Amino acid sequence: MTVNPSTLGLQYSFTLGVAAMEGRGFYYPIDIGFGENKRLYVLGRSHEGDTRGIQVCMMDLDSTFYGTFGSVGETEGQFIWPTSILVDDNGLIYISDEYLNRISVFDAAGQFIRKWGLPGSRSGELDGPSGMAFDSNQDILIADHRNNRIQKFTKEGGYLYSFGSQGNGFGELELPWGITVGPSGDIYVANWGNNRVERFSHDGYFKALYGEHGHKEGQFHRPSSVAVDENGYIYVADWGNERVQLLDPTGNFVASSRGEATLSPWAHDFLESNIEERDARAISNLEPDLAFLEGDRNEESYHTEKLFWSPVSVKLDHKGSLYVTDRNRHRIQVFQRFLGST
Amino acid sequence: MSNANVQLMGHLMRRAGFGAGLSELEARASIGYDPTVDELISTDSQKGIDNAMLYRYHPDQQGGLGLSGAASYWLFRMVNTDGPLQEKTALFWHSVFATGYPKVTQGKILMNQLEMFRKFGMGSFRDLLVALSRDPAMIMWLDNEDNHLGAINENYGRELLELFAMGVGNYTEKDVKETARAFTGWTVANTEYMTMRAERDSLWPYGRLAYWFEYRPEDHDASEKEFLGHVGSFNGEDIIDIICRQPATARFIARHLYHFFVTDEPPVPQWPYEKPIDSQAIEELMEAYFENDYNIGEMLRVLFKSRFFKSENTWYRKIKGPAELVAGVLRLTGECRVPGLETNANTGSMGFMGQTLINPPSVEGWHQGIEWIDTGTAIERINYASEHLGNASNTGVKDIISNISTASGTTNDPNLLIQHCLDELGAIKISDESHSALVNFVKNGEIDVDAEKGIGELVEMVAATPDFQRE
Repeated sequence: MTVNPSTLGLQYSFTLGVAAMEGRGFYYPIDIGFGENKRLYVLGRSHEGDTRGIQVCMMDLDSTFYGTFGSVGETEGQFIWPTSILVDDNGLIYISDEYLNRISVFDAAGQFIRKWGLPGSRSGELDGPSGMAFDSNQDILIADHRNNRIQKFTKEGGYLYSFGSQGNGFGELELPWGITVGPSGDIYVANWGNNRVERFSHDGYFKALYGEHGHKEGQFHRPSSVAVDENGYIYVADWGNERVQLLDPTGNFVASSRGEATLSPWAHDFLESNIEERDARAISNLEPDLAFLEGDRNEESYHTEKLFWSPVSVKLDHKGSLYVTDRNRHRIQVFQRFLGST
Repeated sequence: MSNANVQLMGHLMRRAGFGAGLSELEARASIGYDPTVDELISTDSQKGIDNAMLYRYHPDQQGGLGLSGAASYWLFRMVNTDGPLQEKTALFWHSVFATGYPKVTQGKILMNQLEMFRKFGMGSFRDLLVALSRDPAMIMWLDNEDNHLGAINENYGRELLELFAMGVGNYTEKDVKETARAFTGWTVANTEYMTMRAERDSLWPYGRLAYWFEYRPEDHDASEKEFLGHVGSFNGEDIIDIICRQPATARFIARHLYHFFVTDEPPVPQWPYEKPIDSQAIEELMEAYFENDYNIGEMLRVLFKSRFFKSENTWYRKIKGPAELVAGVLRLTGECRVPGLETNANTGSMGFMGQTLINPPSVEGWHQGIEWIDTGTAIERINYASEHLGNASNTGVKDIISNISTASGTTNDPNLLIQHCLDELGAIKISDESHSALVNFVKNGEIDVDAEKGIGELVEMVAATPDFQRE
């Protein structure tokens, strides 16, 4: 398909989830995985002061809730700082933990199967596994972020290879976070500390970088996640700028969004069960004039509920819908792409 | 042995910050005392904290749902800031304008109040009071959203005069009511929804929503008022202008600064009945207040450069508050330098000592001085200091032990070893009684000071002295 850039963009579609310390809902969600039959797995990071929200919430696109699995701790099936989630072609779920330096594997129902990963800086060891992505062989690429490198493993944890080193030169990494594989097999890394997206060949050779530090279109402030669609268009969670940006395959700016959340079905449920809050909310101004915040985007997001507040992860499902994990708002905002064809 | 200049620098850094190790003190002493004071007061060259690094690993230090994330964020700043006086001054104002989590029920809005203290805390007291009166956390804390035209709520107006600016005995009940009338219409937007969320501790559906200041002229009492002998159609800022012109205000703030930075005074409720410890010092600070347009930074410059501050009569006359103790220990041990689980744990330790940041016991804040100490908190404090400074796996402790070992050479003179310990822990002094106990400890052969393990045990013992609990 030939893409017409003039009609290309992001269209807000709907919102999933609600804040919840445990059970149905999310508590500082940090990533999402896609399973069979429209099953979604939302990974809750929670925080040290209340760890009940460290769990995976199982639901589907219709907001049917299927339960949770996982909890805080260091034994099998538990997490301290869960960071990313993947689902393989067999429905197995892989979750990285950047504190425990390991990958935990579960079946589609959330039963623990195995774990792998050892702490360290030698080949095959991990120091802060953050983002993960499958390549075309279903091997797992991991942003081994405190080692400032990308490592590749089999799904069973067998070490294959690594690339990258600390620095700010071409192909060098500074605390990388998100990672994805494009249609050509190239690897894209959200180079968080260097404020840009780095592109490598499938075997780890530097190919290109996109963006620079800043707040304008096409610039980034601590990008945390990257996704690439079948046409090579690049979606970036521009985390520090509280927005998502869409770039064309050569890195030119196309569109961006600060978020447009509406009430999810679970949010509706809450308000219908708490009608005093519903009624008070109905007469409130939830979109204030933000001039008094002098352009502080973190504060703007705190003051305006519909905006992204810490958009940590961007992921495309098999239909091309974009799922933005909106961490500090405890929800997922879903967008559709405009891909006008000629 | 550290020289007098280094020891004086140690005194300054304990009071104007959270203490410093010997190498920092020696570096600062070589620059000079007055330039160091000037540098601490000027925040221009200070780099601050990499918030993004904290937000990445600690969502609640950004999202501010609860108390722990906000308190841990602040402790991390105290330990790692290159502008310690800015954080210490924020702690000072947090103690004076004590605002608590249980009624406000969100950490983020209180973090924003602390950021306001960082911004205005060493500037004009007038600007600070205006910012305080517009601060959404303060409005919710003292019910000014319930202060309406024709139906006043006196809470904020009363505390502004009694606890925040002037002190009991310097105004009348009528002045309280007139102040409340002047602040009618100063509220938070979406009042009904926000007060409901606060009362219910609601984080639904999508986390905390900011409270923000809103002025409603239709709810403001614009009629004539009489306040402290002045007559006019005063609004809140006019009241603050009059407050700031009062000698009583200058005296109240001067005494607060002296109490926090120089020497423990009696608790604030006793101030109307007990004279200041050093009346001349209070007069000098009042003079600085009026000569510098109510500028707090200039009052601090006068304070830190004064003879009464430098005098050894004021050294170790303050009991460290739990925040000061914990942050000071962590700055020495090298802990909490990067995001991790330990900052939250250390914030919890502070709570066991009687101080949970952003959760003061009441609008009066914490009573300081000897009131920090009871049998329970004393044990917590001593155990905390000795456990952390006695843990040789901490990088800062390793350095301390290594430095003592190097400085001591082959000596086994207990006095020299102890002196090196005291120097490394911030050029501190201890009482003769404590010193004798430590000498006996070494002489009796209870530790092997020829080995680094033994030196570590000596460091642990020094940290366990009652003297270490003072600054």
